[in-house]
Amino acid sequence: MKTKVLDWIKRLKPRGMQSTVLLAFTLISISIMLILGSVMYIKFSSLSQQETVRDTEKLMEQTRESLETYLVGMRQISDAVYYNVIKENDLSYQDGRIRQGMNTIYEANRSHLRSIALYNDYGSLMAAEPVAQQKEDPDVTRQSWYRKALAAMENMHFSTPHIQNLFDDAARRYYWVISLSRVVDLTDKGVPTSGVLLVDMDYSGISRMLQRINTNTARNGQYYYLCDSNGEIIYHKKQMQISNGSSRENNAAAAAYKDGVYEENFGGEHRKIIVKTVSYTGWKLVGVIPASTFAQGMFNIRYFIIMLILLMGMMLAVINRIVSLRISRPILKLSDSVIEYEAGEKPEIYIGGSQEIRHLGYSIQRSYEQIDGLMQEIVMEQNERRKSELEALQSQINPHFLYNALDSITWMIEGERNEDAVFMISELAKLFRISLSRGQTIISVQDELQHAKSYMNIQKIRYKNSFTVDFDVDPAVYLCCSVKLVLQPLLENAINYGVSSMDDCGEITVAAQRQEDTVILSVADNGFGMSEEEAELVLTDSDRIHKHGSGVGLVNVNNRIQMLFGKEYGLRVESELDEGTTVSIHIPAVPYTEENRKVLEKGHMFRREEINKKEMQDKQK
Amino acid sequence: MNSKRLFVIMEITLAVLVIVLAFVMVREQSGKDRCRVSVILPDADSSQWSAFRYGLKTAAEDQGAELFVVSTGDKLTLEEEISLIRSEVGNGADAVIVQPAPGDGAGQKLAEISKKVPIMLVGKPQTETEGDSLLPVTGPDDYAMGKALAEEVLRDFNGNVEGKALGLAAQDMESVQAGERRRGFLDALQGRGTRTSWTVSLAAGDTDGGPLNNQSKTDLVIALDDTSLTEAGECTASRDLHGALLYGIGNSTEAVYFLDTGNAECLVVPDEFSRGYESLSETVEGLGNFFHKMESKVLSYTTIRRKELFTKKNQEIIFTMSQ
Repeated sequence: MKTKVLDWIKRLKPRGMQSTVLLAFTLISISIMLILGSVMYIKFSSLSQQETVRDTEKLMEQTRESLETYLVGMRQISDAVYYNVIKENDLSYQDGRIRQGMNTIYEANRSHLRSIALYNDYGSLMAAEPVAQQKEDPDVTRQSWYRKALAAMENMHFSTPHIQNLFDDAARRYYWVISLSRVVDLTDKGVPTSGVLLVDMDYSGISRMLQRINTNTARNGQYYYLCDSNGEIIYHKKQMQISNGSSRENNAAAAAYKDGVYEENFGGEHRKIIVKTVSYTGWKLVGVIPASTFAQGMFNIRYFIIMLILLMGMMLAVINRIVSLRISRPILKLSDSVIEYEAGEKPEIYIGGSQEIRHLGYSIQRSYEQIDGLMQEIVMEQNERRKSELEALQSQINPHFLYNALDSITWMIEGERNEDAVFMISELAKLFRISLSRGQTIISVQDELQHAKSYMNIQKIRYKNSFTVDFDVDPAVYLCCSVKLVLQPLLENAINYGVSSMDDCGEITVAAQRQEDTVILSVADNGFGMSEEEAELVLTDSDRIHKHGSGVGLVNVNNRIQMLFGKEYGLRVESELDEGTTVSIHIPAVPYTEENRKVLEKGHMFRREEINKKEMQDKQK
Repeated sequence: MNSKRLFVIMEITLAVLVIVLAFVMVREQSGKDRCRVSVILPDADSSQWSAFRYGLKTAAEDQGAELFVVSTGDKLTLEEEISLIRSEVGNGADAVIVQPAPGDGAGQKLAEISKKVPIMLVGKPQTETEGDSLLPVTGPDDYAMGKALAEEVLRDFNGNVEGKALGLAAQDMESVQAGERRRGFLDALQGRGTRTSWTVSLAAGDTDGGPLNNQSKTDLVIALDDTSLTEAGECTASRDLHGALLYGIGNSTEAVYFLDTGNAECLVVPDEFSRGYESLSETVEGLGNFFHKMESKVLSYTTIRRKELFTKKNQEIIFTMSQ
């Protein structure tokens, strides 16, 4: 499985230069865009969160002000009832004025009020507005608002919401109220006493305020609730669910917070809590912003950024393709032209594109031209070699030479010069044995000299010893390599152009010696010689027509030597008119071994160091 | 990979992503369609449904559903109810919450309609007597409530109810709800020596208390639903029950009032807020999730005595009734 996946990934790997460039550019672009996108998103997200928190704080501030105004209004009502009505009148004989005063205040504020009631210190109802029948036994002394008022007599006390349990409502309804209670000084029959003044506010006044802000933000999960300083909930949109346990709220913790923004984890969710304290009551207005609210607000920005990244990605892919095309096209064209050149379809290499690619094109073109030149040279050399070898072979079986030799033998036998005839035949046999040499091109200098001797012995008989031949050989050169039959054309020339027309005074000297790493074989005659210009043409003018001999010219000999040993070797012609001519063969002193012979015949040219090394090895053997 | 192929694949992939994203964005911006749930109850505006309606409303806000409570008359026959359901479905209701009207084959008829739109029942239909209902039902365990009421009676009499005469009242004594409650009540008193003097079905809205006034004197009057409790409370207040003690099951402020004023001895209150909340929540969840099968839910009830009427917990119950 793993191997398959790896294979699949390998197949996806771009192979072309353009694909690689395109992929690299695209990956870089995507990385940059992702980084930019992430940075943008984080920045936007942070700003958005700050904005949400700021808006929430603003809204909560307004709500707190409304709540405070509302509660201050209630306190003012309580103050008005206390200072303007209760304190000014005696309960026993001014109860009518008290009721009237309470009625006036109640009527002025009835939209917010449920009732105003005055109890004495025994919990008996002294006055109430609106006038209603008290329940049989409400026992107000056990009710929390009454107890709280007595517990801290100097303060006004706001209760948490509760069902009003004081009056018998003919409509059989129950009202949810917040009680504002305080201890008041009463005068009953002129005797100062104390009682408790109760102002029951309609809970709907507060719940409406909180419902309104909750409705505005309900869609994004944000909500607000109100609790007292002990964390008891006054308003919560999920009050019933919290009560029956199907929902939870961290109200106890929130009640302990001071005003500010807090972060908390509650119910498996991270959320921001904003707390504002309502003055005097110590109630806490709490705004809850779940993390999901921020995420919801960021949805559009997130989508927008992703969309932007994708569109930029598409655009960059196009740009990257154009750029990669521009970069890779000249290289691809160059590559294509090389392929076509190699296939022999097109003879020219593409030159174009940037300076570097043009330079590359020129270099490749030059290289190919050089290779072509060298190839042609090799082909030409091979042709030359074949031609030279063919000519050399032809020279071995020159019919004229053979006819003359055989004619001489016949003549000797008829003249009963049997010993001469035997000598002639044996020399002829040696000549042909060496000429054939089992088809080898390289033979030893000794064999080459033997061949020259045999040849000259035959020619001397033919020319009736009209010239003399002298061999001056350094035995050190015997076991060096030589090209087969290079001396014969030289001797032929020496006879034909040098000594043949001289009367018994012609002299030919064949010398063989070693000079450092070079073996020099020379043929010198004391013939008529040549002018300097003519001597130069001997080795350069291959079109010269040979008047005599085998027809194998010196040019041929020179070429064969150079093809096997290199351009530094070959023939040297020295001639002076009426003095004679010396043609010398310069070849490297390569020891004649079977291995060296084969190497040379394959066309390998030995360098000087190699020759020295081989010589050392041979000596050691 | 060929560069042209790579380029084309890249562009196509990006284009597909852009299209998908655009689609999601448009969908997000247009917002999800709020599902509409219609609620059909007999005498829907009656105070006995106040807590239930409050529960529905709260759940609708929480779930983001559109709630439509159909106004109905005091009496609702099965045919009228079926007609109303069809009308609501025709008007685009995605689901219907129904208090089944009395009548034979109500369950089958409602089940037939539920093939088109989901139906949640808030009471057992007439034909459902045994086994699982064909439709999901959200409501209290009526049998258990009847039994709980009997236990309260026994507690008041220290278990000695020998020879006590009982009068049983319900809005419709033939209904499954009243039947279950009665069965639960009588099962709990079985072998205690009580005798049932009469059972009465009251017509909803009949406020003159006629049927109860005309009954023979009993020691105890047991009201098996809110309507009968209210009627019986009226009678007790006007001393028309010949001194009989009233026990009952109720869920309106009127019922609470009679307990508060001492005209009723004990009140068993079904959790109507949860009935409304849970029935709508379950219905909306069923609409939102194709794989969610709506399930029945059995809800709790509370027994309230006069002296405990204004405990924090009971105040909250009364609060839901006052909405």
